[in-house]
Amino acid sequence: MALTALPRTLPRSRPSLGRVLLFGGLFGYFLLPMVAVVLYSFATRWTANILPDGYTLDWWISAVTDSAVREAFGTTLILATLTALLDIVLVVPAAYWSRVRNRRIRTFIEVSAAIPFALPYIVIAFGLLQFAGIVTPGIQGTFPLLLLGHTAIAFPFMYWAVDGAMSAAGIERLSEAAEACGASPYQIIRRVVLPNIVPGIVSGALLSFATSFGEFAMVQTLARGVYTIPIWSAGEIRSYSGDAGAFNRLAAVTVVSFLVLFVLSGIVVYRNRGQIVRLLPSVANSEGRPTA
Amino acid sequence: MPPRTPLRVRARQMASRWAPAAPLMLLVSYCLIAPIIVLVLQAFWVNGAPSLELWGRVLGQASNQDAIVTSLGLGIASATVTLVIGSPAAWLISRMFASQRAFWMGLLNVAANFGGIGLAFSYLATLGVVGMVTLMIQALGIHFDPPRSSSVAALLMAYEYTNIPLFVLLTIPAMSILREDWWEAAQVASATRLQFWRRIGLPVLAPFLAAGWLLIFTWTIGIYGIAYGLAGQSGGTAARLITLQIGTTLQSDVITGTGQAAVLSVVLLAIAVVSLLSYRRLLRRAMRWL
Repeated sequence: MALTALPRTLPRSRPSLGRVLLFGGLFGYFLLPMVAVVLYSFATRWTANILPDGYTLDWWISAVTDSAVREAFGTTLILATLTALLDIVLVVPAAYWSRVRNRRIRTFIEVSAAIPFALPYIVIAFGLLQFAGIVTPGIQGTFPLLLLGHTAIAFPFMYWAVDGAMSAAGIERLSEAAEACGASPYQIIRRVVLPNIVPGIVSGALLSFATSFGEFAMVQTLARGVYTIPIWSAGEIRSYSGDAGAFNRLAAVTVVSFLVLFVLSGIVVYRNRGQIVRLLPSVANSEGRPTA
Repeated sequence: MPPRTPLRVRARQMASRWAPAAPLMLLVSYCLIAPIIVLVLQAFWVNGAPSLELWGRVLGQASNQDAIVTSLGLGIASATVTLVIGSPAAWLISRMFASQRAFWMGLLNVAANFGGIGLAFSYLATLGVVGMVTLMIQALGIHFDPPRSSSVAALLMAYEYTNIPLFVLLTIPAMSILREDWWEAAQVASATRLQFWRRIGLPVLAPFLAAGWLLIFTWTIGIYGIAYGLAGQSGGTAARLITLQIGTTLQSDVITGTGQAAVLSVVLLAIAVVSLLSYRRLLRRAMRWL
């Protein structure tokens, strides 16, 4: 039973003081850190007053021209993009087959999706490092291992999104109908299945991308030589010793990565019309299929 | 007796049932299932024989005991604060007009996705030694020292930034099971708003809220990036957490630290398994009103 449709009629009362305090407080709490980081990225010197002493673009210029920052951004984007693509390629066929052919695939997927959902990434990363060291020492500590790790922890988001889209489209019936009309398996997938689940694939890809983009524990554990934006930022925080500009440059980089996540979640929310958002296996869909 | 299906045919049948899912299943086995098995083996096997020796050594260390207690305490505190603020917020947002609701859902979604090192830095820029809010309060002439960035109080404030949104997004769908007619019926029976909530509203929603609490508790214990970022400048004085202990052993000493990291990982694994099973049970219970 789907519960995502929120009721439109409501026992509503006048905005009370408590309500104003609650939402005003939350609004300030969510907004202040964003404002602070943006101001920091433009501030010349800011150690004594409420607002910065002056504003400058220097930190932005120095962040953009810094080769370490640019490289880290490149690596982060490549890693996140490959993660999303790999998840599409691996999850879509499995989800489709679990619906039209073999329900036992679904059981396997749903049980394993609980692993990255409940187990901390640092634990998965450590276990994977150990296991890879035993069976495939060649890729221990390399980018490919990290990519596999990110693909694995992001796969549930892709699965919930794609499976929800398949359920909404009634993919089993569509496939049967196409088969009855004499379509070849290739035609069915190309002309019937894929066009109907594009929204799910896009949502899933955005969420996989976002998962990989900000992830820290696995990058730090699995691939020592790989520098992503979170790794670079953590290094900056650790090595900070009051030198002018380091904090401000870090602020500029944080603003950019924040904007990326902002745009990604904006698209996901917009596409789902403000309904289900992080595609968690929330109360609404614990029984049956997720709502995408 | 019917002739046995030839092996080749059976293999082909097998392939047609599983092949499209095989790559994903391989990935999951390699990256998620096998690592768990390896960790458990490493925690319980010493020199080729089952043993609890590592457990005694790891759990006997004061720093690890400290980490486990702090992590559990932080998880309970954070989940409880989240519950207290998040439940009324979720209820009120679920009853908002569509446009207002979309605004809050958007804001919460952005905040929920903003974690890790970026959030740690944002915290420092807000409530660090020269953070914006710190400077604001000091500019008012009030003497104010912000909590140390790696203290439990600071971690709690930073964690809530993602925990509250996650909790609200998670529980909002459940809010729609409280039906309009129930409130009307209660009013007809001349019940007050308070009585309605005590006798009907809360009992119906309680399992959902408890499930949300449990997830936030579990996720909080597993947080690593934010804690790592906030522990940044304080070196040895940072609050000890299970995840940080694992991270530190991995960073410093992969050979001898493996046993300690494995034991602590299995502790986290046990917590995850227990809460996931309880979560399932709670939801099954909650569904009886549907």
